[in-house]
Amino acid sequence: MKDVMGLIYTGENDARLRELTLTRAIAAMPVAGRYRVIDFLVSSMVNGGIKNIGVIMQKNYHSLMDHLGSGKEWDLHGKINGLHILPPFLTRENVGLYPGLLDAVRSNSNFLVRSKQEIVVLSNSNIIYNARLDELVQHYIDTGADITLMYTKDPSMKRDEYGTYLDLDNSGNVQDVEVMPTHPTYSNCYMQVLVIKRELLNDLADKAVAHGLHSMDKDIILKLVQDKSARINAYEYKGKCWHIDSVQSYFKFNMEVLDPKLRKGLFREDLPVYTKVRDEMPACYGDDPSVINSLIADGCQINGIVENSVLFRGVKIAKDAHVKNCIIMQDGQVHEGAYIENCILDKQAIIKRNARLIGPEAYPIVIGKDVVI
Amino acid sequence: MLRKKTCVAMLLAGGQGSRLGILTKNVAKPAVPYGGKYRIIDFPLSNCTNSGIDTVGVLTQYQPLELNAYIGSGAPWDLDISNGGVFVLPPYQKGKSGEWYRGTANAIYQNIAFIEQYHPDYVLILSGDHIYKMDYNAMLNYHIRHGADATIAVREVPWEEAPRFGIMNTDSEDRIIEFEEKPKNPKSNKASMGVYIFTWEKLRKYLIDDEADKKSSNDFGKNIIPNMLGDKQALFAYMFSGYWKDVGTIESLWEANMDLLETPMPIDMHDKKWRIFAKNPGMTPHFIAKGAEVTDSLITEGCEVYGNVNHSILFAGVEIEEGASVESSVIMPGSKIKRGAIVRRSIVAENATVGAGAIVGEETGNIAVIGQGVTLPAGVSIPAGEQVDETYTFDTARKE
Repeated sequence: MKDVMGLIYTGENDARLRELTLTRAIAAMPVAGRYRVIDFLVSSMVNGGIKNIGVIMQKNYHSLMDHLGSGKEWDLHGKINGLHILPPFLTRENVGLYPGLLDAVRSNSNFLVRSKQEIVVLSNSNIIYNARLDELVQHYIDTGADITLMYTKDPSMKRDEYGTYLDLDNSGNVQDVEVMPTHPTYSNCYMQVLVIKRELLNDLADKAVAHGLHSMDKDIILKLVQDKSARINAYEYKGKCWHIDSVQSYFKFNMEVLDPKLRKGLFREDLPVYTKVRDEMPACYGDDPSVINSLIADGCQINGIVENSVLFRGVKIAKDAHVKNCIIMQDGQVHEGAYIENCILDKQAIIKRNARLIGPEAYPIVIGKDVVI
Repeated sequence: MLRKKTCVAMLLAGGQGSRLGILTKNVAKPAVPYGGKYRIIDFPLSNCTNSGIDTVGVLTQYQPLELNAYIGSGAPWDLDISNGGVFVLPPYQKGKSGEWYRGTANAIYQNIAFIEQYHPDYVLILSGDHIYKMDYNAMLNYHIRHGADATIAVREVPWEEAPRFGIMNTDSEDRIIEFEEKPKNPKSNKASMGVYIFTWEKLRKYLIDDEADKKSSNDFGKNIIPNMLGDKQALFAYMFSGYWKDVGTIESLWEANMDLLETPMPIDMHDKKWRIFAKNPGMTPHFIAKGAEVTDSLITEGCEVYGNVNHSILFAGVEIEEGASVESSVIMPGSKIKRGAIVRRSIVAENATVGAGAIVGEETGNIAVIGQGVTLPAGVSIPAGEQVDETYTFDTARKE
């Protein structure tokens, strides 16, 4: 796939993730015990043979930059291609904050122009998937479409007032598009991943922004479909995917990877997910811990009870502490006698002795970074 | 010309480690897995990185493939740098001659040209046989402060064990006055750790002289050190008091693993200022299922535990099926313990499978070993101290 490049946009709306996205983009959200959301996208691209990847940063991008670094973990630290971090910068045309995806693409048109590949895979960064992107691109090439959209029939992706839905004919051509409908009529949910020629993307973004338009879905895809001025088709992603756009959906994803079947479907042996390495020693279990149905990362020290939970690297659970249905990020601590249920502890949060915190299952409690309770 | 380095490290990784039995049948000893996610060589390499030594030659000769692949570009240890880094140095043809490394000193002699590229003042000689965390830079400062020609790291061993080691007899200033290899009646309990710093100019001269001596066995302990002592060179002993474990035998490798399960851990692996780096297999955090029981153990990424694990160490990607029980054992990467199998006081090497209901090892006695890639048929019983490789004939009558 020498002729394909990747472009990832990380500026999605994150208001519904509350404190979790105060200091980071959704793309940098820690998930599944050791990963960040963006690991899945970058790994999918790399596994699909894409070697030139640009990541468009928006706000709070420090944590994302720190995570991606030189791109070494993804073998993206080459000379010819590699990982390109594209932070917002102020120019005459660019005021720093992108009103939409199109503005972001246009502001980085230099990166597009300088790249050598003919085809671009453009992806948002708030949907977790592990796809054969080489097959998506092959589909695009074989069908000769102008744009190919990746979609899913996964019913959990269909939600009122959110998302973009596609009506397809028998040969997979897009007949109609619904953008953020109150009640979606179509069950094909567009995954915010598309394939397009590099020059066409650059042209479309440039023209659209010049006309005061911002939305890729509404102002380009929907319009092209309605005008019938371009051939847009779709490729079905048959794996499971997760939209991370709220505390609830974030919580749900982490709980679902506890299911061995779903986990093996996402972390496939043929499509490894790469991430930054922290060089922690293996997790240590004490004399009498009790762990049930949980994912535990390296560097953890477990002496208490852990049930249906995801523990990130370096978490400490003291003796007689009880953790149930929780997500505890890097270096969190739960001290002796504490009981927590349905909680999300951000990095380095500490729950002191004998504290009790029980959140409702439908609305988990979020404990912010470095908070001590 | 390459930029000058104050100190270059040379790591002797060519030994077969035959006392590790079938564990070193296909891999060199430094590449043997240890501690849930490491290999023995991670310790000296990480010590170098943490000590600020960024140029390391690794001398290989026995079964180097896995070791070479493991070291790769040196990235896990931050040794993938352009001025220095890690270099794998196998023996090579030189003009008309070409030969294997004949001994530890000869291995360094054959790589004089490599060392000279960096114009070092000092050379650190290491081996890939031990588990320890040591600040080589502190030792180098000691060497410089004493104006030594050679400094040998030593540690105090129990007197009754001293006859098993190379013993340094020192004066009150820690200057070495005599070296005795495995003395029957030791005068001191300061045992050499196989870690040496030499002033390069001196070592160079002794290596060349030693090479010219046809009767020499070209060994640091047998020849170079005694020759330097004989010439009244300044040799000092550097006392090291931290955790140090030779992992040269199956029993000691097993013990060294079990040491990590002690509270407090005798070697602090959580120290963020002195991390032990290792190549990461990139797997998900490990999963403990409902009904599994895990106590007093170390478990790493990619493991899936449905059975019972007590006082054991599981490497990356190990699967313990329902009803299986692992006790006081070391299970190396990618191995599977099937339903109902019992593994006690054993080492199961990489990618092996213990069939359903099989019994490996016993509650007491020597450590049983299952070799790399071996599949144990269901229901067989392997007694304590056995080593099972592909050629092993299973005696089903031996069932308990």
